[in-house]
Amino acid sequence: MTNSHQQQVTIHSEYGLHTRPAAQFVKLAKQFTADINISAEQQTVNAKSLFKLQTLGLAKESQITISAQGDDALKAVESLVNFINQLED
Amino acid sequence: MMSQQIDKGLTIMDFFSRIRRMISGQERVVGAIDILAPVSGKIVDLEQVPDAVFADKIVGDGIAIQPEGRYLVAPISGKIGKMFDTHHAFSIESPQGVELFVHFGIGTIELRGNGFTGLVNSGDTVEAGQPIIEFDLDYLKQQQLCLLTPVVVANMEDFKGINKYSGRVKANKDVIFSINTQAK
Repeated sequence: MTNSHQQQVTIHSEYGLHTRPAAQFVKLAKQFTADINISAEQQTVNAKSLFKLQTLGLAKESQITISAQGDDALKAVESLVNFINQLED
Repeated sequence: MMSQQIDKGLTIMDFFSRIRRMISGQERVVGAIDILAPVSGKIVDLEQVPDAVFADKIVGDGIAIQPEGRYLVAPISGKIGKMFDTHHAFSIESPQGVELFVHFGIGTIELRGNGFTGLVNSGDTVEAGQPIIEFDLDYLKQQQLCLLTPVVVANMEDFKGINKYSGRVKANKDVIFSINTQAK
């Protein structure tokens, strides 16, 4: 049985998910074995690819959905949502 | 420049990938992809960039350049993945699947576009050497920011290795690193 979770979160940091936080986000995502996707405005990309993530152009107030499938899906989604909520710049 | 024999020891897989590249219009069928300098200046080790996501290679592996001149150009032919709204950085993907990031300076996002003019848009197809961003170096030098410009491969996991060059480079003339495309 596949373990699947998803959660919506809004980015509040001033410059959105720019290169530095995006790189840290991807590094965190890679620590999980689950397949993780980020959706925003009908586009879905692999959360473990910085290149693909940047194409979403995530700015301040962007609403994203983090979804994961795999053994550590719940932990992955919780950790990544937490990361987004704690972004400061 | 690296040169590699392609007519010896071709395996079936090599043969098919060669045909595939020929069909897609790529001429070079060597085991390395050369990345050209996107800006003129001196090559600096990535480790010296004062931002951990670059220095620790979290964004990717490559080099940084202390920039000179007026233009950031495409370091390889391909498709612009992202032209940042603030025009301080862009990403580009080559037809061979190399994902590159070129990020002008550190903290330059805070300039909100001042000092930079974007010359292309996300999704545009560009040729190597085509100007992508015009920058005002005099203005940027007054901003108390580090202008070291990392040029990194964001998907090194797809390749076998990277050979970096050093010294002074000219935009669109000199190779800054070669990516080894042979299967792991």
